[in-house]
Amino acid sequence: MEKNFQEEFARVITFTPPLYKQRYQFVKDLVEKYKPKKVADLGCADCRLLWMLKFCSCIEVLAGLDISASAMKEKMHTLSPLPFDYLQPSERSLTVTLHHGSVAHKDPCMLGFDLVTCIELIEHLEESELEKFPEVVFGFMAPSIVVISTPNSQFNPLLPGVVLHRHPDHKFEWDQAQFQSWALEAARCYDYSVEFTGVGHPPKGMENVGFCTQIGVFVRKYPQTGGSVQYEKPTEAVYKTVFKAVYPSLKDEKYLQNAVVSEVIFIAQNIKQHLMSKHEEYDDDPERKDEFQPSVDCFSDYLGKLVFDKTMEPFISGSEVYIPLATIFSFPKVNQLCGTFEKLCKLIAGKVPLSSDGSAVVFNTEHENE
Amino acid sequence: GLQDLCLRDRGGRRRDYHDLGVNTRQAMVHVQESKTGLSGRMIKLTSNHYRLTSRPQWALYQYHVGYSPEMESRRLRSALLFQHEEHIGRTHAFDGTILFLPQKLRNRVTELFSRTRNGEDVKITVTLTNELPPTSPTCLHFYNIIFRRLLKMLNLQQIGRNYYNPGDPVSIPNHRLMVWPGFTSSILQYEESIMLCADVSHKVLRGETVLDVMLSLHSQVGEERFRDACAKELIGLIVLTKYNNRTYRIDDINWDGSPMGTFRKSDGAEISFLEYYKKQYNIDIGDPKQPVLISQLKKNRNIEGAVVLIPELCSLTGLTEKMRSDFNMMKDLAIHTRLPPEQRQREVGRLLNYIQRDDNVQKELGNWGLSFDYKSVAFTGRVVQGEKIFQSGNMIDYNPQFADWTKETRGVPLIRAVPMDNWLLIHTRRNHDVANTLIHSLYKVSPAMGIRMSRPITIEVDDRTEAYLRVLQQRVTPDTNIVVCILSSSRKDKYDAIKKYLCTDCPIPSQCVLARTLSKPQTIMTVATKIALQMNCKMGGELWSVEIPLKQVMIVGIDCYHDTVTGRQSVAGFVSSLNQTMTRWFSRCVVQSRGQELVDGIKACLQTALRSWFKWNKCLPSRIFVYRDGVGDGQLNTLVNYEVPQFLDCLKSIGTDYSPRLTVIVVKKRVGARFFAEIGGGGLKNPPPGTVVDTVVTRPEWYDFFVVSHTVKNGCVTPTHYNVIYDGSQLKPDHLQRLTYKLCHMYYNWSGVIRVPAPCQYAHKLAFLVGQSIHREPNLMLSDRLYYL
Repeated sequence: MEKNFQEEFARVITFTPPLYKQRYQFVKDLVEKYKPKKVADLGCADCRLLWMLKFCSCIEVLAGLDISASAMKEKMHTLSPLPFDYLQPSERSLTVTLHHGSVAHKDPCMLGFDLVTCIELIEHLEESELEKFPEVVFGFMAPSIVVISTPNSQFNPLLPGVVLHRHPDHKFEWDQAQFQSWALEAARCYDYSVEFTGVGHPPKGMENVGFCTQIGVFVRKYPQTGGSVQYEKPTEAVYKTVFKAVYPSLKDEKYLQNAVVSEVIFIAQNIKQHLMSKHEEYDDDPERKDEFQPSVDCFSDYLGKLVFDKTMEPFISGSEVYIPLATIFSFPKVNQLCGTFEKLCKLIAGKVPLSSDGSAVVFNTEHENE
Repeated sequence: GLQDLCLRDRGGRRRDYHDLGVNTRQAMVHVQESKTGLSGRMIKLTSNHYRLTSRPQWALYQYHVGYSPEMESRRLRSALLFQHEEHIGRTHAFDGTILFLPQKLRNRVTELFSRTRNGEDVKITVTLTNELPPTSPTCLHFYNIIFRRLLKMLNLQQIGRNYYNPGDPVSIPNHRLMVWPGFTSSILQYEESIMLCADVSHKVLRGETVLDVMLSLHSQVGEERFRDACAKELIGLIVLTKYNNRTYRIDDINWDGSPMGTFRKSDGAEISFLEYYKKQYNIDIGDPKQPVLISQLKKNRNIEGAVVLIPELCSLTGLTEKMRSDFNMMKDLAIHTRLPPEQRQREVGRLLNYIQRDDNVQKELGNWGLSFDYKSVAFTGRVVQGEKIFQSGNMIDYNPQFADWTKETRGVPLIRAVPMDNWLLIHTRRNHDVANTLIHSLYKVSPAMGIRMSRPITIEVDDRTEAYLRVLQQRVTPDTNIVVCILSSSRKDKYDAIKKYLCTDCPIPSQCVLARTLSKPQTIMTVATKIALQMNCKMGGELWSVEIPLKQVMIVGIDCYHDTVTGRQSVAGFVSSLNQTMTRWFSRCVVQSRGQELVDGIKACLQTALRSWFKWNKCLPSRIFVYRDGVGDGQLNTLVNYEVPQFLDCLKSIGTDYSPRLTVIVVKKRVGARFFAEIGGGGLKNPPPGTVVDTVVTRPEWYDFFVVSHTVKNGCVTPTHYNVIYDGSQLKPDHLQRLTYKLCHMYYNWSGVIRVPAPCQYAHKLAFLVGQSIHREPNLMLSDRLYYL
């Protein structure tokens, strides 16, 4: 009895990493390969896949759709920008939106996507919904790529305890032939090509069973046509937006300006302190000379190399320090942020104290002493 | 009890920050009926408290949820349970074991059946365990969780315990800082009702990563001192990471580690940090050779162990000690963080407005049957009479409204002026002129104070630590009154070395002055006056006094300093009065390494303090008041159950016939409560010094009160909270409040009223000096003087 049980147990198939992670990894790999800018996840549930995708740097628009608002709300805050994202806004822009609605309905917010994923979604659809699904996804949304995954019922006998379906909410589970014929029909109808694959390998000797999760990758055959037929009669919005997060990005003038202004002031402050510490003498402070270096000495090498032109040299005049913008612009970070000198001038105008001709940052030296 | 409750919010911290369930008032018979004082004039106040209301007959239903077979994962447990929303309803709070519902289920025990994705059938048994009235401690805990949920719904970002609005940050590019406005909030049972206490909070974030800081330190201090400098600058700081929304404390730096190092994932696979961050978060780590940071997980959480962090992926929050001492930086910050009363109240009002206007939030509150009063609570406080200040028989006529008598005491002789017949002045060659200026200025200001001053022995030294120390070793004699050192820079090592030598090996009072402070002719007289007063106190002088009607009283002040950098040392400063007028103070301190209990040392301090009191007064005190500062949130229980009995034990051990009356008062400066005095036309201003609040916003289970003793130039005044946890004195609340207020007038380094009783501030000063510079207990020869000022 005991032995029998153990044998039984040994046959139980486990997947490492777990199957759901393998499915998500599959999508991630696809994203790495095709570099889509706009990705939608239909049936996004607890937003786990969206959360993983937000780290993919090619994606600029992420959308999720689910029939259950509460499932999305549970974890939707994991999709919010982190404090770090505000502190160091990234180069790319990213907007994440969650919609409450059904894949059986068309909503214009789902137009224009590059990749639409439907991971373990279709088996939850009622017959009437499944009927409308190809028209909505392939016909209306018409993204370049669609990924659909669903359980492979041929694998079920290998899974312990599965009697009818893997999950009580599953309306059906297809074998490979059923899924493939459905997929091929949809592809044919909407001018897509489809390739079949899957995750969760069958045990040795049972390869004909197929993957535990079967996946169809659909690629649109016709090029994207800007204002194609289906765009013409705008559909009414039927989805409800439950969440929207716009990530801070340097593409946004506000964040770019902030980043540039703080970098400029920081550099200018450092140069000023460097100049002023040179200005003072430390005749009887040997320690200071040998080991205590003012905080900007890292810049001095840099400055040494840069100062080829007299007009770029920072200087003190009376109670004011002048740091030419040209000097500041030669710092790689500023250069990289602004691109052009004109852009630098434009961004800092009114935000940083400048000399009357606008060519240098000016600081007062007296302000420093309490 | 509360320990059983494990409804967890993010991070699973279970510490009780509000010291709920510590009921100390019940043991004090004389304040059972009333703990309110009587004296003073009434003043109309409002505060930042808002009543929480629930519908009549409201109750919270607590259920235990059991799974058969047992399910490990919390996520799975939730998922399985919420398949049955039609039974349990859509409004719920669940931590994996305990389920809270706003309504009662039909049956006491409900059985539900779910199936996992693996096809396993699971029986879920939901059993009613408790019907909680609105005021139960569990409910209070629950309100706080629900409130945090609301803040999250308002899209506020949680950092640490508070919530911030990343939408409109203030950036301070001069210092590479960013300030996020936000809120602190807590819901507690107050005197008459449950209220939300909400206050404005500001989070200081730094626009640089830990790696940036390391690199800039490297260029500042060079290779040799680099590691030390990093440890000093970074250990103890809180960081945010690029990839998740957690905060970590830097506990160590692993210089042998690097992102190329590997760790074992939960599935057993070995992976390098480089690979992991790339795979998991698509982050490319730029510098593969940087060291790694270590953050210890808190012991009181379920998990023990350490987290490895990559400097490049961590950004710093908060201010370092170094930044705090940067005057300009603090000034720039204050512009954004110190809000005047009306603005502060307006900002808090904004939070309440958000709550009131947001449909989702209102729905959530409605579902739970809760709502808020959107107008802050109003009540009356009392302004007690201003204290008279006496100096050498003169009563100083000052305006109590300003809580300051600097001008009024100028030119008035001190109570006890210690002559300076034999003193040393050490300076560098460069500061020769500055030294002369100081001597001349001191000559000018000291006669009026009654201080007799001879010419000092002036010594010129090289500006090196060893040079200073050599001079001290050669020239300080037992007859030296005081040593004055003029320092050219605020470099800490020199200061530390001087203080260490003169506090331990060679116990002589010392005064360090920065040359820069003496360099301005327009302020030199004010500076010299302050230095003269300070030196006099350090030598055992007395400046002024207030009337203390109680006789045979010893006042004790205790405060702690926790060293986050070197070895996690903690220092407790202990200060006790020596005379009737409270003008002289005895001091000791306890240097305690990690794991040791502070209280054993404090017991020894109390014993020696009583001995000294006896020496001065030829008898033992009949009353002892301990003002205990430095008590963290959630530590009250330990204090009540451990520290107070130890005090009592110690007193018992003095003698069988000796039984003085002990009172222990916990002093808290960091409180969320803010009070505003109403002025005509709906305007608000800070309550005047002497304002006492002991109703409405105090806690019913405590004998506690607030005192606003000081004034502020900018922003809002923070009331100080006093919690009398043990009182054998039988003193009326009014008298204890007055005594407390009087003691706030007795801090000699500030000719005005301060936020805490003087002994607390002295204890703070002492603990800080020892913790920062000396690291061991100073020589007891100095213990009857305020050498630590």
